[in-house]
Amino acid sequence: MNKTMVDLVKATKIYPPDVAALEDFSLTVDKGEMVFLTGMSGAGKSTVLKLISGIEPPTKGLVEVAGKDLTKMKAKEIPAFRQQIGMAHQDFKLLPDRTVAQNIGMAMEVSYENFRAIRNRVNELLQMLKLEHKHDTQTEKLSRGEQQRVAIARAVANYPVLILADEPTGNLDPVTTELVMKLFKQYNDAGSTIIIATHDEHIFQNTTHRVLELANGRLIATRPTLQP
Amino acid sequence: MKFISHVLTQTGRNLQKTWPTQFMTLLTVSLSVLIFAFFFLIYTNVMKASEKLGDNLRLTIYLEDEPVPEMQEQLKKKINDFNPVEKVLFVSRAEAFQRLAEQLGDDRDILTDMNPAFLPPSIEVYPEKDLNSLARIKVFSDYLATLPGATKVQYGHGWVERFHYFTKLIQLIVVLSGVLLILTSTFMVAYTIRLAVINRQAELEILRLLGATNSYIQMPFVIEGLLQGLLGSALGILSLHLLYRWIAKLFSGPTFLNLFEFTFFAPTTIGLIVAAGILLCTVGSLSAMRKFLRI
Repeated sequence: MNKTMVDLVKATKIYPPDVAALEDFSLTVDKGEMVFLTGMSGAGKSTVLKLISGIEPPTKGLVEVAGKDLTKMKAKEIPAFRQQIGMAHQDFKLLPDRTVAQNIGMAMEVSYENFRAIRNRVNELLQMLKLEHKHDTQTEKLSRGEQQRVAIARAVANYPVLILADEPTGNLDPVTTELVMKLFKQYNDAGSTIIIATHDEHIFQNTTHRVLELANGRLIATRPTLQP
Repeated sequence: MKFISHVLTQTGRNLQKTWPTQFMTLLTVSLSVLIFAFFFLIYTNVMKASEKLGDNLRLTIYLEDEPVPEMQEQLKKKINDFNPVEKVLFVSRAEAFQRLAEQLGDDRDILTDMNPAFLPPSIEVYPEKDLNSLARIKVFSDYLATLPGATKVQYGHGWVERFHYFTKLIQLIVVLSGVLLILTSTFMVAYTIRLAVINRQAELEILRLLGATNSYIQMPFVIEGLLQGLLGSALGILSLHLLYRWIAKLFSGPTFLNLFEFTFFAPTTIGLIVAAGILLCTVGSLSAMRKFLRI
């Protein structure tokens, strides 16, 4: 059985006219692993996540997720692939005029989950992220930190096998950051593969997981896994 | 089942968000159906009346002299050879006089001193029911005028002609209102769906990122078009029915409308109009999606 979840081989992404966001970047992430991508703004962290989620195709190189070559994936296979991935975007990508519950539920609705299961799951996540009192609040009325937590809740709602989080703690206070990291750890312990792009050193400084440092679209350092 | 309930929920949300535009489109579709159905109703009733006209059509050939029995047979054969007819009736001078006297009733005294042979003999031709086009009646009448001894052919020419042109006019209006219906239904629905797609671009983008299938994204728009067609045409037909009942009530009693048996559409026709409305609006919705919803 293939134990690799993500395999990027010499992936290059060049945005027009000639901006190289990623150059010859290789990364292998095993199933059930948690990996941190770090680096300054513009280092290429978000681009890595976009390539893995299939939002952007690589200009060159190979991107394989769960054994599937994304560059050869047929259009009709994309929805099923994306339903298995939960992504918390840096800009949240929430619908401002929908309630918190509706925004989180969307991830499960596209998989045609039954409405009762969606309701229960949404309530469970809101409780975990201490947002239960915001159930019926429109997301435009939330603070940035609250919006970020809603985006994270939506990313994990559908029990994805792969969770991608782009600066998930960028707008959070230390207490909420700990809450979110606890949630990720919980999913990681349950078997989900998690890749977190962040420049917040606090969340990985004592980690036992791999930390990859990027600069100018290239991998410049890999911190070995610390033994617990 | 889950797919249907999710798509219907999504459709409900969309309608809730875009109801003012949807309502305006619904009114436009209803109005178009009402206009088309109104003229189509008149047309179907006029056609029914024209069939009745065919039933009662009689051409009278006035003759110089009464034909002898052999001549009568010859004339009958010539008429049937040209156009098969239901009945040919020879009316002698004496029979014509007798008929006139009966028509005059109590005033028949005025005929007392008249010569019973002053009326011309005639042949009454009752064509078959299929002779209901003005052009064919004219050709037949022209032929009858050439029969030996014929002086004149009468069949209420002016009235039939006017009725024929009226039928043609209604036919033209039905076609034009049909075109109007097609244009308004298709384009209005397409325009509404286009607006909805543009307004919901951000939402559609998020749905795609979350892994929504094409059918999950497209079906609500198709259902919106279908509902516009169903409700719009049903509302149009209902309005026409109310109008029909109001007019029927208004003109009940001895009025000119009672000369015709004016009836409403049969259930099959109603079903066909509603089906056409649904089809047109769905086509409008599909064409808008094909143009503006890139998946």
